[in-house]
Amino acid sequence: MVLAWVCAIAFGLAASRLAAHAAATLPKRAPFEELAYYPSGRALRPAALGHTETMADLAWLRAVQYYGEHRQTDVRFSNMRHVFEILSALSPQFESPCVFGAFALAQEGHDFPAAEELMLHALEQRPKSGRLAFELGFLYFVKPGGRDLKKAGEYFELASRLPGSPPSAAHFAASAAQNAGDLMVSRELWMQVRANSPNRYLRDIAEKELERIQQAIATGRAELAVRRMSQPAVILK
Amino acid sequence: MTALLVARNTFREVVRDRVLAGIVVGGLVLLGVTRLASPLAMGEGLRLTVDLGLSSISWLGLLVVLTVGTALVSKEIDRRTIFNLLSRPLPRPFYLVGKWLGLTAALAAVSLLLGAALWAILAVMGHAGYAGSIAEAVFLATLELAVVNSLAVMFSALSTPVLSALYTLGFFLAGQWCDDLRLFANQYPGSLKAMIETAANVMPNLSLFNMRTLAAAGQPTTGTHLGIATVYAALYCACVLSLAAAAFESRDFK
Repeated sequence: MVLAWVCAIAFGLAASRLAAHAAATLPKRAPFEELAYYPSGRALRPAALGHTETMADLAWLRAVQYYGEHRQTDVRFSNMRHVFEILSALSPQFESPCVFGAFALAQEGHDFPAAEELMLHALEQRPKSGRLAFELGFLYFVKPGGRDLKKAGEYFELASRLPGSPPSAAHFAASAAQNAGDLMVSRELWMQVRANSPNRYLRDIAEKELERIQQAIATGRAELAVRRMSQPAVILK
Repeated sequence: MTALLVARNTFREVVRDRVLAGIVVGGLVLLGVTRLASPLAMGEGLRLTVDLGLSSISWLGLLVVLTVGTALVSKEIDRRTIFNLLSRPLPRPFYLVGKWLGLTAALAAVSLLLGAALWAILAVMGHAGYAGSIAEAVFLATLELAVVNSLAVMFSALSTPVLSALYTLGFFLAGQWCDDLRLFANQYPGSLKAMIETAANVMPNLSLFNMRTLAAAGQPTTGTHLGIATVYAALYCACVLSLAAAAFESRDFK
């Protein structure tokens, strides 16, 4: 009995020391191996046996780990697109990871087309989601290398008509259209903000912007209403 | 009445089984683990708790069916206790229905217990409003387990525990892929399509009992969904138990 206990403790200690030694000396996983076992979302769906939401939660936990590991080390996110496509395929209703993944891909992964595709695919799956439309608008609004104010305005405007969008969507839509130089559309949108916004501060802003737009149209000088916006920058700390 | 007597004894037998106690404790630990994992989910802890909680109810219930349900009848045949029962004025179909009813009641009790624990965790997190959707999801999970249990009882009456477990698992997997089978059928013309569709209709349509997506958002399902799922479960169980009774009636225990 005692011998058995001694053997168990001795072998256990030896095994744990060996595991620690292996972790310290053996080469780390190569980037390819890191997610090599990750199948596509399409293959994972039937394998989830109806528990796609739970599978998506686990994939989300892995995605957070993946992001965190690379954010703290090499700031290279070569597999991020794959990770978030899986999440989107498993659970189109799970909006937060999709938004997070798109912004991480665009801002830190320097892969704006992939981010755009991810958000467009998510919006295609949930066309009535005001939140997704707003976030897609915001993705264009802070597009690295140059804001795409026209598209931002379009999606902000779409978001303002859908449930689940932030109350500021209409204000953002008007502002984006104005700074994109689309004064007529912008005027319509500001008028809607002035008429419908429950926020007095926003109504005041709408009033001022409408005056500026009116002046710009009357004088033919668009620059009176259009602001030069700074280049969006990503600062990694 | 005799079926209820068998059911009561089966319920007692299953509840006293250490496997069930272990599974319940495992389920409660799993629910606790979801809270520990929540900080890793970057603001999605609530969703993680609901999803993993509801999935654990389904998976642990399936484990009970596979470990206990598939041996329910064959164990009595091996121990020869079935002779004492069937030598009394107890029709064989009633015996099977009683077995199914007893285990289904035990499964419902386990689901209820784990569902209540999940709701208690959510209430502590400040989301007591999820009670409705959690209750509906647990109800549907119990119906799903009742359907799988009816298959387990049928196979248990006809085969060995290991084979019964494999057959039941096979039907469970096919039941989860019913919708995919129907989509698959659309790729083929005429008779092949009809054959695949028939196969999909014969399998238990287990996706009907899934409302976890809605529950994760705290939304209830419709009364129509609940009604259809309840009637479907009742019809499917009745069909499988009738088949089991027909086969069990002619079985020779010598």
